[in-house]
Amino acid sequence: MKKNLKKWTIFQRAEFLSAKDLLQRAVVISLLFLALHLAGFREFTGVLNGTIGSLALGWNLSAFLAVIYIVLYLAFVVLVPILILAAGILAIGQRFLAPRTKSPAKPLPD
Amino acid sequence: MKARLQRILAGLAALMVAAVIWLPCLHFVFTRPVSAFRAEPGLSPEARQLAARHLQLWTDPALRETELKKMRVSNAEWDFMGRGYMVWSLANTALRDPASRPLYLQTMDQIIDETLRLEKQEGMYFFLMPYAKDRRYVMQPARSLFLDSEIALMLAARRAVEEKPEYKPLLAERVNVMVERFQKSPRMILESYPDECWMFDHCVALDAIRMADYLDGNDHSALIRDWIAMARRRLVDPKSGMLISSFTTDGTPLDGPEGSSIWMVTHSLQLLDADFARDQYQRARKELGATTLGFGYAHEWPKSWPGMPDVDSGPIFPVFDISAGSSGMAFIGACAFRDDEFLKPLAATLEFAAFPSRTDGRLKYCASNQVGDAALLYAATLGPLWQKVQMGAKTR
Repeated sequence: MKKNLKKWTIFQRAEFLSAKDLLQRAVVISLLFLALHLAGFREFTGVLNGTIGSLALGWNLSAFLAVIYIVLYLAFVVLVPILILAAGILAIGQRFLAPRTKSPAKPLPD
Repeated sequence: MKARLQRILAGLAALMVAAVIWLPCLHFVFTRPVSAFRAEPGLSPEARQLAARHLQLWTDPALRETELKKMRVSNAEWDFMGRGYMVWSLANTALRDPASRPLYLQTMDQIIDETLRLEKQEGMYFFLMPYAKDRRYVMQPARSLFLDSEIALMLAARRAVEEKPEYKPLLAERVNVMVERFQKSPRMILESYPDECWMFDHCVALDAIRMADYLDGNDHSALIRDWIAMARRRLVDPKSGMLISSFTTDGTPLDGPEGSSIWMVTHSLQLLDADFARDQYQRARKELGATTLGFGYAHEWPKSWPGMPDVDSGPIFPVFDISAGSSGMAFIGACAFRDDEFLKPLAATLEFAAFPSRTDGRLKYCASNQVGDAALLYAATLGPLWQKVQMGAKTR
């Protein structure tokens, strides 16, 4: 099982600020936002105009849920595209700007 | 270690380049053609969906009760203003979409009748904020121009779409009361709260009087002219040249010009003095309107007269000094003066930051509330009602 998971390199922790790391962060933010969105947290954003989000949950909890949703929403629409673009820029940079290393010589057949 | 540092620096540089590319492009995701918000002629898709949502509120008592309760927890005024904006919007909608006129008229009547019933049953304080009871009104018997003006304009708007004989005496009574009190007041200033008078309410009151003149063949043009002359003299901020938003009965300013008030005031003035209205809009646009990275918004106060956030301004978002209340009301100004250059970025902000929720052909903005959405619906539909009155003689 472990061996199988290792094959899924997307789940392996990438080096900090590498292209893969940026993509992983983008995916995590997107999934978290999607979860909150599907759970209906958008309804709580009424606190932005001073209206209670939910009479049942009260002011404090409504405001707390609204803040979580708004932060993740902003991360989704502002940060995720930046992370994806940055990952693309890094990948292109590595491909074209990284110093070319000589490929190791093929061992001679015995 | 060196390789790690290089990787981190490369990552940070890539993030900065990506931000420089993305941030100026972000508004394209949310920008729609102006025709999506305001259509000429007919109804825009946005107006149709907002109207559908509001009609649902008035046909589903449980849903309405929940929405109104949410607003009344913060401000009883919003419940009342939501009714006003809804009726005025439906009047414009009925003129834009004659095929559905019976439904719109029926809903307008329902809102008006219920509002009149509540006012009669619960008293005028039902729709006012609690501090209205703290002091005695200067002019007796106590009346609130806030209520009289908006109810009168509701009745007039309904009658302007299609005559309803039962509303004729009700409108005449409101108008007569307001006119008498204007004449009785030494400075032609009437209270909405004890010794607290609002520019918004005066302009709406004069609109209602103007519409009643159109409907019933009276002439209060001298009163309207005198009032505007008085306002130009006494109720203008000398630095910005904009009308102030609240004042005492002797004309002493309480609040300076405010975005949550001035945008509607400029639109109201269109029916009273078109040149003054345009002048005020241009000043408000210059002092309060702003666009950053393709997103439009409005400040609550001009630099010449800063204020403190309150229930009208809504939250003020720092750095850019964005007022939720002023930005929402700016739609009314931008639509009234066909300022597409401002309306387009405003609409982009609405899509971006007001959290639209579209289900089954109905639209609501989650970051807004019933009164906010009703004001947006009014912005998306305004025009035909004012035009009808400005065109002159009523078709009887």
